[in-house]
Amino acid sequence: MDFNPCMKHKVIRKAVRMFAEAELAPVAREIDRDARFPWEVVTKMQPLNFFGLQAPKAYGGAELDSISYAIAIEEISRVSAAIGLCLTVHNSVGIFPIVHFGTEEQKQRFLPAMVRGERIGAFCLTEANAGSDAGAVETTAVRDGNGYVINGTKIFVTNGGVCGTALIFAITDPQSPQKSAAVFIVERVTPGFSVGEIEDLCGMRANPVSSLFLENCRVPERNLLGRPGDGIRIGLTALDTGRLGIAAQALGIAQSAFEDAVRYSKERQQFKKPISSFQTIQNFLADMATEIDAARLLLYRACAVKDAGRPFGAEAAKAKLYCSETATRVTNRAVHIHGGYGYSREYDVERYFRDAKVTEIYEGTSEIQRMVIARDLLSQRT
Amino acid sequence: MSTSKKAIWVFGDYRNYFQNRVTLQLLSRARELAEKIDGMVCAVVFGHWTDEWLGEALSNNPTFCGVAKEYIAHGADRVYLTDHSRLAAYSMETYVFLMERLARQEKPEMILIGATAFGREFAPRLAKRLDTGLTADCIGLDINKDGLLIQIAPSFGGNLVAEIITPQRRPQMASVRPGIFQEIPHDHNRTGEVINVPLPRDIPADRVRLVRSERRLMREQKLEDASLVVCGGRGMGSKKKFAKLFELAELLGGEVGATRPAVYANWVGHEALVGQAGKQIRPQILFSFGVSGAIQHTAACNNAKFIVAVNKNPEAAMMKLADVAIVADASQVCAALIQELKRRLRLRQ
Amino acid sequence: MLKIVVCLKQVPMVSELPWDPVMGTIQRDIAEGMMNPACRSALETALRICAAEGGEITAVTMGPPMAEEMLREAISLGAARGILLTDRKMAGADTSVTSHILARAIKMACVGFDLVLCGFSTSDSETAQVGPQLAEELAIPGVAGADGIEAFGRTVRMQRSSDNFIEIMEMDLPCLITVTEGEFAPRYVPLGGIQAAFEDGEILTLTAADLGCDPEKIGVKGSATRIMSVTSPTAVKKNLVLTGAPKRIVEQLFARFEDKIGGAIGRDLKAEKTK
Repeated sequence: MDFNPCMKHKVIRKAVRMFAEAELAPVAREIDRDARFPWEVVTKMQPLNFFGLQAPKAYGGAELDSISYAIAIEEISRVSAAIGLCLTVHNSVGIFPIVHFGTEEQKQRFLPAMVRGERIGAFCLTEANAGSDAGAVETTAVRDGNGYVINGTKIFVTNGGVCGTALIFAITDPQSPQKSAAVFIVERVTPGFSVGEIEDLCGMRANPVSSLFLENCRVPERNLLGRPGDGIRIGLTALDTGRLGIAAQALGIAQSAFEDAVRYSKERQQFKKPISSFQTIQNFLADMATEIDAARLLLYRACAVKDAGRPFGAEAAKAKLYCSETATRVTNRAVHIHGGYGYSREYDVERYFRDAKVTEIYEGTSEIQRMVIARDLLSQRT
Repeated sequence: MSTSKKAIWVFGDYRNYFQNRVTLQLLSRARELAEKIDGMVCAVVFGHWTDEWLGEALSNNPTFCGVAKEYIAHGADRVYLTDHSRLAAYSMETYVFLMERLARQEKPEMILIGATAFGREFAPRLAKRLDTGLTADCIGLDINKDGLLIQIAPSFGGNLVAEIITPQRRPQMASVRPGIFQEIPHDHNRTGEVINVPLPRDIPADRVRLVRSERRLMREQKLEDASLVVCGGRGMGSKKKFAKLFELAELLGGEVGATRPAVYANWVGHEALVGQAGKQIRPQILFSFGVSGAIQHTAACNNAKFIVAVNKNPEAAMMKLADVAIVADASQVCAALIQELKRRLRLRQ
Repeated sequence: MLKIVVCLKQVPMVSELPWDPVMGTIQRDIAEGMMNPACRSALETALRICAAEGGEITAVTMGPPMAEEMLREAISLGAARGILLTDRKMAGADTSVTSHILARAIKMACVGFDLVLCGFSTSDSETAQVGPQLAEELAIPGVAGADGIEAFGRTVRMQRSSDNFIEIMEMDLPCLITVTEGEFAPRYVPLGGIQAAFEDGEILTLTAADLGCDPEKIGVKGSATRIMSVTSPTAVKKNLVLTGAPKRIVEQLFARFEDKIGGAIGRDLKAEKTK
């Protein structure tokens, strides 16, 4: 067992960090404040393969292993979690289902533009009455000639405001929603497809999370991913992969908050000593460091299991659960260590604190992760 | 021409005489070193019409009497002079060739070269030809108990200082940063010998062709050379407040520098960046406003002679480096300083 | 097609320097490395010349085995191959020895090279000596500190600012140029390039014996200079602290230092006594 990062992973981390610190760091605070998607930075990310991290080379992707993928998301999120979110959603639940369930024709038609970052991906499952319960989806896709007509409203769609290609989760037979669930590849230019207002969120503000409306939106049959009824399977597989990305994102947020806390505790003086010399602060920092380390190891192991081709659902759930809860705890502590300044927009920790919370909610809440983990462990010990 | 006395040579880098007096500074230090080893100080000059070099020098400065005599007046015991039309413009290859030839013949104990742009390329080439050691951009020179030259050089932007010697090979060589040593005042009563060295016949043709050479206008003098720098960081608060630093710099006749956060926030262009990825500065006075003092920045500016730092946080690293640490809002102090300067400069007129 | 050699050095990341608090020195062995910024500019220059004129880049470095990661990065950016000169016997080399080893490797493994590019200086030792000395070793013409380089057939033209002069110069190939962190920002590393560089990037590793170096003439043994001591000048300044209202602070500042400030800017800042 080797716990040292291999040379390739070190190079990937340095390359991404160099980009993120030079290009993203200068705008990170402002895009959060103004809820602005930084196209000018995204344009620079496009030729560097950020939009095709694991996509096959045949379609222009970098075909990275999963640990490299996690490192890239972690390093971008360390600087701007909202842009990390854009990337992880695009790469995992946007591109991954097409790579794994798409036909060759679909891959050739959709992947190159997505991999180049010209069409940003979105995955649309959540509705007003469906979220954790994927079976309660109400969006319908009704067979009509050689295509389907989709009607429904998706909410809280990450990348919603900027997506070019969306995967829409819909039921094709309202009588048996579970068995008829399907995923459609819908392009933004399709008549009947429209973007709702951008949500005014607590965190991840630079990501244009929005509603999407589908009104008599007609798509050809060749845009159906898999077959009717494959929806739940595709959704769950995509979410397993997506969870690795969200775990990496949470880890990046935690890392950043931790670094700020260490720096601040060494600078800030009280009672004529740096506060880092006080045992309470030291205990805080020690716990933060330990949790981040544990979170990182869990995540990289889940990635390794995935790359070995073994089932990794429970590992991904554990990584996502622990990384996101670590991010929430660590950012909370980081604000606390910063005292009054931590509560001020003058410092970045309040942003990390706001960004961290949602990692416990989306891509399956912590409770869903525990359910996945429990189901897995109980099934093994019959 | 050989002498039994150990000789310390100083390369006569006269091209930027008025901006850069490093040759005179080196002659001064060489004098002190020569005392310790009972040696003599020699200057080496290659050029053309060096007696009349720079007409303006003769008219503006009545004591200036040609490069060779000038060096004697500033401390040289002997000047080796090669004056020839081929040497009208500085040439790296020719100068290295001439210096190598002369050094092999005269066997100096030490060669000191000013760390001008020319000197920093000339010195390593010469050291290579002479197969000897060389320390770059020294900030101090001394003699140890064995009579060897101690070459004191910074690394990591001044975060570390190394003491280096050349134990076996000769000559011992160092390039030396301008502005470190104090020149000896001009003394036209000092005497010394001038040895005219003829241009060798076998001098090779130059392989580097100088297509054009223009003296840079003084106005373009950059941040790196400025004797006063006003540097701003994130603590300035906004682009508008940062812009006030330009007014202050204008009043003080200095240049504006910035930290990474200020450049990233687009308060100022990248050319103002002082730091690891930007410029190294060494002004007489540095005013530092709202700069926390990340090591990438401090490493690039801690050669400033006198630092005034303004920061709300008295514990900021920049405040520890400062000679005067002002605990206050950076932009308010900047405004107050502008007001006071305007008042004082107006009263003078 | 130009055969370009780019010499690179891996330097410690200043932000992550592990300092030995007792010795006041840097723990180089555990510092994270990065491509020296001026070397990155040299590589960028090479990539641009290749794009304009056609060419092939070989990246060469001398350093610990870890320096391989920088060569992989260079391949990710577009270099055709990397040459890693690594050997414990090479450790501690001064600039003269370093240039000697680089020259041997270039003569051996880059036969028929046209152009050698180096960074002007490194962020760790800042000597700016290896490039000029390498030109001497290779017996080719060289120019240090160029910030704009163009190749036309068998001629290169470059610009530099040297002391107070702006110089434009030309040389015939083969030649050597050291490049400053100049005009154009180096490109970022594409992630797909990294994957490819690790899958099938070509790295040639050479030891002192491979290069036929005399062990007495390399490393610490072969270096003419000897480092006697390295210290960290961390003397904490005894500084004057001023607090209070900005106007009052500025008055105090001038009261104490008007000569100093006035001297630096060559103006008399003394306020005339009012009334």
